[in-house]
Amino acid sequence: MSNFAESIAADKFVVTAEVGPPKGTDVAHLLEMAELLRDHVDAINVTDQQSSVMMLGSLAVCHLLHQRGIEPVFQVTCRDRNRIALQSDLLSAAVLGIENVLCLTGDYVTLGDHPQAKPVFDLDSVTLLRAVAALQEGHDLAGKPLRGVPAFFPGAVVSPGANPLGPQIAKMEKKVAAGARFFQTQAVYDPAQFEAFVRRVEYLHVPILVGIILLKSAAMARFMNRNVAGVNVPDGLIEEIGSVPRPDRPAKAVEIAARLIRDVKGMCQGVHVMTLGWERYVPQLLVESRLADEE
Amino acid sequence: MIITEQKELDEILHSLEGHERVFLVGCGICATTWSTGGEKETREMAARLAEAGKDCTGWIVTEEATCDVRTTRRLLRRNKEQVGPADALLVLACGAGVQTVAALVDVPVYPALDTLFLARLQNLSVCDERCRLCGECILADTAAICPVTLCPKGLMNGPCGGYEDGKCEVDRERDCAWVAIYERMEMLGQLEQFKIIHEPKDWSKDRHPGFINKRDKKALGRG
Repeated sequence: MSNFAESIAADKFVVTAEVGPPKGTDVAHLLEMAELLRDHVDAINVTDQQSSVMMLGSLAVCHLLHQRGIEPVFQVTCRDRNRIALQSDLLSAAVLGIENVLCLTGDYVTLGDHPQAKPVFDLDSVTLLRAVAALQEGHDLAGKPLRGVPAFFPGAVVSPGANPLGPQIAKMEKKVAAGARFFQTQAVYDPAQFEAFVRRVEYLHVPILVGIILLKSAAMARFMNRNVAGVNVPDGLIEEIGSVPRPDRPAKAVEIAARLIRDVKGMCQGVHVMTLGWERYVPQLLVESRLADEE
Repeated sequence: MIITEQKELDEILHSLEGHERVFLVGCGICATTWSTGGEKETREMAARLAEAGKDCTGWIVTEEATCDVRTTRRLLRRNKEQVGPADALLVLACGAGVQTVAALVDVPVYPALDTLFLARLQNLSVCDERCRLCGECILADTAAICPVTLCPKGLMNGPCGGYEDGKCEVDRERDCAWVAIYERMEMLGQLEQFKIIHEPKDWSKDRHPGFINKRDKKALGRG
């Protein structure tokens, strides 16, 4: 059982962060960021060619982190691989010692930098979770027995700000039924909205890690409001981050995120911090969120 | 209905390069209704080809669908005095129609239309794709709204995280198929159906190129 899984099982409040592999083979910066985070988080998600932009693979980077004693969460999307390749990559992850798997549908290919690519989506997030469960039961999706059975800690994502929310929750319920043991959410900026969401999914009894994205600028907030489904940054926060001069923005971003975390941490079992290059502010964020002691 | 679109005249003339005498065939069903290869369009095409210096030996519009070999064969025979002299045929029908004609004559046959999709006709100007001909209909489980066709990802178990205000992440003008399915199930009092986890689609049922012989019992059993 992964440490991350054990912490969740033990009802501890967990912290995850995220790194995005580079376009190319130079992993120096990525590893530097992971080192910055290692002592402050329970696990680090490695994105799977986020936004459909071709990148170094998630599995290879998960392996590099694992080798360094940093626990990865292997993000797997259904965009680029059929059921044969997905199951094979899951087995590959298992033999490399990677247990935490986050199962996602994946963005559509036209959103990325190879819009001409053939989209796959042979499985979806629910059937990918079922594939993980099948492998753990010792057989593949075709029912064929495995020689050597992997162990995984599968998770999934949910968007508390989805509109309408009903279909999102109905799908979350299917993900739980298909084996999701934890959820990481899309970025949350409105504690009241998050609370309403948490109340509606209480019946699922599944650990939820609230998604937090450091708000770097008013422009970024407006961009997300326009372009990222389910993300709603309230006007008050846009004004707050916009009101400070550029050099003070990291401190303000940390202050806003810490306040959000303090507001919602009682409603969930962890926080998933998406730093988008500002990994160095995570330690301070955890101190201000009262999730870590002053150093 | 099969939806088609007329090719640019330049492309058609490029196909017909080196051919002098052309006979035209339009389709009496889909291309007639959608006004891409009915009588009016076939007559107009003949006139445009004549303007471009081609000798149009004649034109017909099949009474039935051009893709019905039986009726198209009969019609070509009946018009053999005009078909015979032609050194090429131009067909204003879907790809199946073009190939039906090509298999019946010994001269080159060219398409005048691009074949787009299988659609619901809302009126004579508006149609929307409704069926992908995927070989295994799941409409019984999806409130009669097809996610294989209407969800760009062809998802089988509910919406992705990309919808916003009920619109699709790929095209914000388009309704998210799974939000529409959810809302229709809700309206029908069938939301319990949403909970069913559907297996990944069985692509072995997607039989292309399709071939059926209803009299060959063995072939039918093979699926």
